[in-house]
Amino acid sequence: MNTIIKNTRLFWQGTLLSYRALFAWLRPVTYMASKIIMPLAQMFFFVFLGTYASGGKNASFFVIGNAIQITSISGIFGVTMSVGGDRDAGTLPYLFGTPANRFMIFFGRAFMHVIDGAIGVVIALTWGVLLMGLDLSRTDMPALGLTILITTFSTCGLGLLMGCLSLLTANVMFVNNFVYFSLLIFSGANVAIESLPAWMQVVSNILPLTRGIAASRALVGGASLNDILPLLITELGIGLIYGFVGYVLFAWFETQAKQRGTLETV
Amino acid sequence: MNAIEVEHLRRVYRAQIGVFNRSIKEVVAVDDISFDVKQGELFGLLGPNGAGKTTTIKMLTTLLIPTGGSASIAGFDAVKQATDVRRRIGFIFGGERGLYWRLSGDDNLRYFASLYGVDPAVSKKRIPYLMELVGLKGRGNERVGGYSRGMKQRLHVARTLLHDPDILFLDEPTIGLDPVGAREFRSVILNLQSQKKTILLTTHYMFEADALSDRIAIINKGCVIALDTPGGLKQHVSDLSVVEVETFGTSEEALGKLRKLPFVDALSVEDREQKQMLLIQTTRGAEAVPDVMNALEGQRVGSVIVREPTLEDAYVRLVGGAA
Repeated sequence: MNTIIKNTRLFWQGTLLSYRALFAWLRPVTYMASKIIMPLAQMFFFVFLGTYASGGKNASFFVIGNAIQITSISGIFGVTMSVGGDRDAGTLPYLFGTPANRFMIFFGRAFMHVIDGAIGVVIALTWGVLLMGLDLSRTDMPALGLTILITTFSTCGLGLLMGCLSLLTANVMFVNNFVYFSLLIFSGANVAIESLPAWMQVVSNILPLTRGIAASRALVGGASLNDILPLLITELGIGLIYGFVGYVLFAWFETQAKQRGTLETV
Repeated sequence: MNAIEVEHLRRVYRAQIGVFNRSIKEVVAVDDISFDVKQGELFGLLGPNGAGKTTTIKMLTTLLIPTGGSASIAGFDAVKQATDVRRRIGFIFGGERGLYWRLSGDDNLRYFASLYGVDPAVSKKRIPYLMELVGLKGRGNERVGGYSRGMKQRLHVARTLLHDPDILFLDEPTIGLDPVGAREFRSVILNLQSQKKTILLTTHYMFEADALSDRIAIINKGCVIALDTPGGLKQHVSDLSVVEVETFGTSEEALGKLRKLPFVDALSVEDREQKQMLLIQTTRGAEAVPDVMNALEGQRVGSVIVREPTLEDAYVRLVGGAA
């Protein structure tokens, strides 16, 4: 019981303090830019480009796709900063020198970004309603809220995996950018999955976001929670798999660093 | 039971060289190190750069797995019972990194307290106490990024004491500190010593090791070459005197002449801004001075002093870093 209390405390304190300690955008101006200006710019770009190419009646396809995909700013970049930030701060030896539960440390780094990512999606959807004519009158809002949370969670799972890579290489931002922009296509945010080549559809199906975007579009179109439940369960499962693989990689990294003496040199 | 028991500890690093024709290069950082540290003892570990001091501390703090030998900390094996060891030790590696600069000093301590599983009620009382102990009272709400180097290093001490460990590993904790900061830091170490903490200290400052340590091990090329009290180590050079000659721009030729003098046991040169201090170890004491001055003929020479040997002189003789 005592261990459970300690680990719960570690999770929450780690969540809040590591978020403040390691998230590089946590300055008011850059944070606001990442939360308001960048999503707006992305949505303007893809919504106007998409409607120009395919007709005005498809606007909601691009608005919803990009609004949900915005969560990967927190899920990919934010989580990577929070996991990999210890490498830059020189705190890895001190972190790995503690008896703390590694599972709690690892997942604690992502939790605030789930909330942060969900807030980002809500802001992006608000832009969609205010500026791009998104109609949510037929939407089951609690179900949409749940979809946003699950999609954000699964994207953070991918972010945890990317964060572990940042412990191994200094060039992870290049990989992060590649993943972020790939998601614009592979997740179906801007291109219907069915129209992608077969191999790309395979990739789409093993990525987070894909089912979250599909579920959100269905909900905005009037579907019920029951209709989209299979999509949500699969999305959640994909997030858990990515998070678990990330955790295994994190544990492997710690062991390897201690065996090879590379804790400070990675 | 000893607080620390190290037996035949060894660590070999393997590095891959080349891109196409890959080969493995092995570097022996620690060859064969054995020593014990008693409970409550302040044990100094001295040695030149690359001697294996930091590698040894990393192995004892569970951050590096030894290639051979064993280490027991507070009765627990440093590899097989690493988590038990971590609960009982604190450690500092010199320098100012290793803290979360965006957080305040207090928040840094709160976070590490949670990592060590310290009860919040305990840490609420302990954090102000430790901040006062390390001379940071009233600065806990400030961001660590704005702290001076000395303040960051003192915050490291507070961090390492959060879970009230019995054993502390301090790896060059005063490196880079100004003289006042280093003196304040040493007083913190003495305070910890008075609390019966077992401390393993590495430092390049001989006077610091001499003033603080109960016993000292000198390591070189990954092996312990001497282990004794500071007084015992000085006995290694009790037959010697040290001639200190202050010079200005001494030529290599003159230094070569000095080294060839038959009574010069060791010669080291310390650069002190525009001048150099030549430290000549000799068994001839003051009688060596005329021949030394002859060897330095034509050079600008300032003061000349003959003194008793210090721990540094014993160290220089033992590690052979001279003539």
